Amino acid sequence: METDNIMKYIAIGSVIIVVGLFTYVVNAANMVSYLSEDPKVCINCHVMTSHYATWQHSSHRESATCVECHLPQDSFSNKMIAKSMDGAKDFMAMTFGTYDNSIRITDSMAKRIQANCISCHHELVSQMVENTKSYQKNGDGSQVDRNCWDCHRKTPHGSTRSLSATPNNIGVKEKL
Amino acid sequence: MKKPLALTIVSTIAIVALILLALSLNKNKAEQKAMNAVAINSVANIKEFESRSAEWGKYYPRQYNSYMQTKKSDKIDDLLKKDPALVIMWAGYGFAKDYNAPRGHHYILEDNINTLRTGGPTDDKTGPMPTPCWTCKSPDVPRYMNENSELDYFTGKWARLGNEISNPIGCADCHNNETMELTLTRPYLIRAMDNEGSLPFADATHQDKRSLVCAQCHSEYYFKKTDWTDKSGNKKIANVVTFPWDNGFTVEDMEKYYDDINFTDWTHKISKAPMLKAQHPGYEIYITGAHGLNNVACADCHMPYVREGGVKYSSHNVGSPLDNMGNACMTCHRGTEQELRDTVARKLERKTELNSTATDVIGKAHLEAGKAWELGATKDEMQGILQDIRHAQWRWDYSIASHGSFFHAPEETLRILGSAINKGQEARLKIRIILAKYNAADYVAPDFSTKEKAQKIMGLPYQKLVDEKMHFQNNLRKEWIEKQKQKGLYDPKAWEGMEFKASYSE
Repeated sequence: METDNIMKYIAIGSVIIVVGLFTYVVNAANMVSYLSEDPKVCINCHVMTSHYATWQHSSHRESATCVECHLPQDSFSNKMIAKSMDGAKDFMAMTFGTYDNSIRITDSMAKRIQANCISCHHELVSQMVENTKSYQKNGDGSQVDRNCWDCHRKTPHGSTRSLSATPNNIGVKEKL
Repeated sequence: MKKPLALTIVSTIAIVALILLALSLNKNKAEQKAMNAVAINSVANIKEFESRSAEWGKYYPRQYNSYMQTKKSDKIDDLLKKDPALVIMWAGYGFAKDYNAPRGHHYILEDNINTLRTGGPTDDKTGPMPTPCWTCKSPDVPRYMNENSELDYFTGKWARLGNEISNPIGCADCHNNETMELTLTRPYLIRAMDNEGSLPFADATHQDKRSLVCAQCHSEYYFKKTDWTDKSGNKKIANVVTFPWDNGFTVEDMEKYYDDINFTDWTHKISKAPMLKAQHPGYEIYITGAHGLNNVACADCHMPYVREGGVKYSSHNVGSPLDNMGNACMTCHRGTEQELRDTVARKLERKTELNSTATDVIGKAHLEAGKAWELGATKDEMQGILQDIRHAQWRWDYSIASHGSFFHAPEETLRILGSAINKGQEARLKIRIILAKYNAADYVAPDFSTKEKAQKIMGLPYQKLVDEKMHFQNNLRKEWIEKQKQKGLYDPKAWEGMEFKASYSE
């Protein structure tokens, strides 16, 4: 029937339009860049420039990039799952503008980062971790539960982190 | 048949979603571009001492707009009503007439003119107050000082300069008109810093200046009588604003400064004590607290950086940092906003507790001393008592006159309040002995629990003061505005939509 043919063409046409739009959006949002681990990718979002700037002026500049602390490094699948979850959350926050001036990490992210601190600084802290386990139990604020940055507060994002108060911050993205 | 239709429907949904996403992306990008283009018209061409802030605002719209937001802080909070002991404590002095909590900077000149303390002058030689009362209220002050001389500015009655002082605190008070650098326009602060010695002005850094421009006004001062001769050879007396910092910044240092020169702000109407008034020692108390000691400047909390797209600028909406905690506090402090708010509330509670005790004790001390005089006490008997009352009230006033001191330096504030209560009670102990001598050992001071009762006790003709003020508002003030317009000083934007609000307006 004639309408069948027209429908077929419309269907094909609409798929082509979808592909076209998709390519446009991928381009406009730099989507391909997110496959890489380069820290510059993280500052596609301007709200992250203060974190980039403070990291660049910290002791971890030469030794750890963004994903090396913020994504699980123990297995590929863990990393990919975490990356997808983070990406989806950030996408929603960016598109609908639901984020705040002072961004704080979640508990699950804190667990990841703590594990990564220990994994890189393993030789230094393994004895400490063993010792505390002998004397203290998990739960309710014992030292075993503390995060490394509860004491090492300025590592690596400094003490002043807001977008408008961090030094060396404005223009980071534009300069790169 | 069905497959193409289903496919089309799915594709259409995808198309709609993708279009919306693309629009959102493009909107964000356009915003970034607009913000980064930074629309400053041209190199600013602002004349020296330009006192109309709207002229500066043409080149710095963001700062100017945020400065105009201080309009929103417009509530009149009658502090004499809140704590009528203040009326007793300031009996015989202007503050017993009228004392409100400060409003936003937008109202600084309006409130100075409206307060019953400046009275109802009918010409340039009448009224209770001298010219220096204008000093912290307007950029016309440095303008006038430059056109005439500092000593000339400080001479005469408040009403003399009504034609000249037209604009509320603004850009010219803190900024250089060519480079926008922070600058001090009140020479007495520079002199005070050099006298005190710990931070000579020449050594002040930009970060120091972010506090010092505020210290031009938010500091303790007195009017030092200075003889001078004008160009025509006439001998005059100027009331020069002076900071009592020669001995140091603490309450005890300043107490000694005043005692050494036998300085008195006024003699108390009821107790005849030689009294001192402490005016908002904001800067001096602040530098003793945790934030001051860590080199956090006034502007870091009260004018925090705000971000519009990619542009960062200092918010000129000077007010409580609690109204903007995200930008003022959370940039450095971890923890949550609510935790910090609760901490601040606890500090305020503690101050309020000691403050009400202090005002109650000192108010009663005044009334009891008054009774002792009535019963025939001699000067020798009362001498020590009056000094104690002077010191007690000086310390109490010093600790709370700067309304943020409970937060800026909580321990210092509570320490000073404690010493004030102690001195007040010592005075009352001594008075009790005198009263016993004159057979009035069980005298109880009269009730001063409301503003009306308190003003009656001190015999304040409240309605007369209000009538004089309203007469002034409808006559001399209107003449002033006309003269200001003729001189090109008047800035309509500073007065647009100004509602008349005072503690005596209904």
